[in-house]
Amino acid sequence: MSSERQIIEPIRTPYKLSLLGNDQLNDLQEATLTILENTGVQFPSEKALAIFSERSADVDHESQVVKIPRELVFKAMSTVPRYFTLGARNPEFDLKLQDGVTYFTNDGCGHEVVDSVTGQRRASRQSDVGMMARINDYLSSMAFSWTMVSAQDRGVTSPLHEMDVTWRNNTKHYQSVTMMGEKLCRYGVEMATVLRGSLEEVRKRPPISLIVCTIAPLVQDKEAIEGALVLGEAGIPIVVMSMPTMGTTAPATYAGALAMADAEIISATVLMQLANPGAPVFHSILHAWADPRTAAYVGYALDARVRYAPVEMAHHWGMPALGGAFGTESPELNSWQSAAEVTTDPLLVSLAGAEIVTGLGLRNTYTLLYPEAIILDSDIYHRARHSLLEMDVSPETLAVDVVESVKPGGHFLSQKHTRKYMRTAMKRTILQQLDSAGQYRDPVEYAREKVAWILANHHPESPPADVQKEINQILATADKELKV
Amino acid sequence: MTDMFEKLAQSVIDGEPDDTSTLAKEALEQGLDPLKCITEGLTKGIQKVGELFASGDYFLPELIIGADAMKEGLEILEPALLGEQKREVVAQVVLGTVEGDLHEIGKTLVGTMLTANGFQVKDIGVDQPASAFVDAAKEVDATIVGASALLTTTMLQQEKLVQALEEAGLKPKVKVMVGGAPVTETYAKKIGADGYAEDAISAVDLAFRLADAPA
Repeated sequence: MSSERQIIEPIRTPYKLSLLGNDQLNDLQEATLTILENTGVQFPSEKALAIFSERSADVDHESQVVKIPRELVFKAMSTVPRYFTLGARNPEFDLKLQDGVTYFTNDGCGHEVVDSVTGQRRASRQSDVGMMARINDYLSSMAFSWTMVSAQDRGVTSPLHEMDVTWRNNTKHYQSVTMMGEKLCRYGVEMATVLRGSLEEVRKRPPISLIVCTIAPLVQDKEAIEGALVLGEAGIPIVVMSMPTMGTTAPATYAGALAMADAEIISATVLMQLANPGAPVFHSILHAWADPRTAAYVGYALDARVRYAPVEMAHHWGMPALGGAFGTESPELNSWQSAAEVTTDPLLVSLAGAEIVTGLGLRNTYTLLYPEAIILDSDIYHRARHSLLEMDVSPETLAVDVVESVKPGGHFLSQKHTRKYMRTAMKRTILQQLDSAGQYRDPVEYAREKVAWILANHHPESPPADVQKEINQILATADKELKV
Repeated sequence: MTDMFEKLAQSVIDGEPDDTSTLAKEALEQGLDPLKCITEGLTKGIQKVGELFASGDYFLPELIIGADAMKEGLEILEPALLGEQKREVVAQVVLGTVEGDLHEIGKTLVGTMLTANGFQVKDIGVDQPASAFVDAAKEVDATIVGASALLTTTMLQQEKLVQALEEAGLKPKVKVMVGGAPVTETYAKKIGADGYAEDAISAVDLAFRLADAPA
């Protein structure tokens, strides 16, 4: 595997893949605008409705449906930042969004864990969040951290405890997948402010961001959207994610599903901009199929031709994109399915140019954690990363003089040029890790040992004691106020 | 004197054949004992290379270039050995790739590993008929003959080699070890070879067994 100690190795590539032409992008955008103008999106939030009413959107307070004229859409979208920084606890891990660089994180948010001691499935808990945050902190494939599983032992304030335990085990940017509602998010902002020292510092280098999901078709979640407004006010980035299921909650055609999902995202983004112009927002569509016989959720059908077309749609709006990857439906740690479904994901999503991508390490459609799965998935990630690197063609790498000195029929092992490059030129996959006898090791055994090694040896710096003390006080207050 | 032995050893460890050659000449000019130059210099150097390879610190190029350096040194020092002087070796080995097969690297690696472990290796090269192995075995009074074949079409020559050694009256004194991508333990037994090794590292263990010497 690649060198993985305390560095981040995002996918950097000069290559681009266009899945959609400009006419198609314009047609999709026109469909979105038409849906927003004619059909509208439901916002079950008085706060959101009030913001739209003030800006002359067509608001039906009874149905809570908002229809947004295209002029208002374009005006609001003009303030969305295309690039910004996701701050980290360790400034070296700050992520500056930029063209040609794709940052990956782990998957989320699972609810079951295959316990590494008992081998049995059990409900996830806070200690699992901390464990995976520590593993994430060590791995170079991980540019930032997601809530990998939920802290089910912490009840309604679990999102705050997940953030706390992540900070105590991880020094990268943290993107919460679970924080919802105005009250929780205000506590979240307070914790981030304590961590950074001031709200101004939070704005400059936001140490957290938040995923908010829409409800297809064309409904916003009250708790999600009101929480997002709180974070937007503090300059904390939001990812608006739509997960349309084709055939049930979305049209059974790609274009229709994408346009409808886009309308959900753009309506939320417009709200965010009207409330706080310049609020950083990511665009994300993770579409899936409903099996036409059983209605079962199918993330990986045979035809996945537009899996990463939403990235281009985001960029067409001038927004950064979050792409979804590694969501295998296999419940097995290392089956053919668990690798085959996801293998092209990191390649395609990076070629499409997504700024951030989730997420490695879960099985059973984002629900089941084997702690060692992230090591196996990191191997797939690094294969993609190396595949997309620009090739170095220079007199030194062409080595014509070396070829001349070997001559036909010889070999290159005696060449100093070979000695210089052979050791590092071949990048070892997890299948090529050597044991002491020079034999290739079993990859799963290797992955398990690596997890054990990281947990025994990698201890990221926790927040300073005075900061942690304040965070603990905030958590205690939240627990008291919000716990039923 | 000790300094010169150390320099010779270091030039092998560093994989600098030109330096080894220059140092060997200097040593003779200074009147140093060529046998000691070999045993205290070159051999210690190649043993260290073997250790570094076994521990994973050295990779194949370092191993091969180290062996090249030793070879350069031996070419200068061995002709200068005095009277009955002979360097001590585990066993004499003849190595080559069989007739019709031009693949070199496998047997070169085996030769390097054997050299690093104290065997004296005569590498007769690629595309060698059975008679060439027999002649070389007689010439150096070999204990082991190793034959490499990378193709299913050329591995048949390994059987011919076993027969040729028998016909020449060299078996069972001379042991035959075979290797190469299509060769298996079962095939080795079938053709009457004395041993098969999957790679260069296990070839060393096999050679020690065949030479009846402690590894």
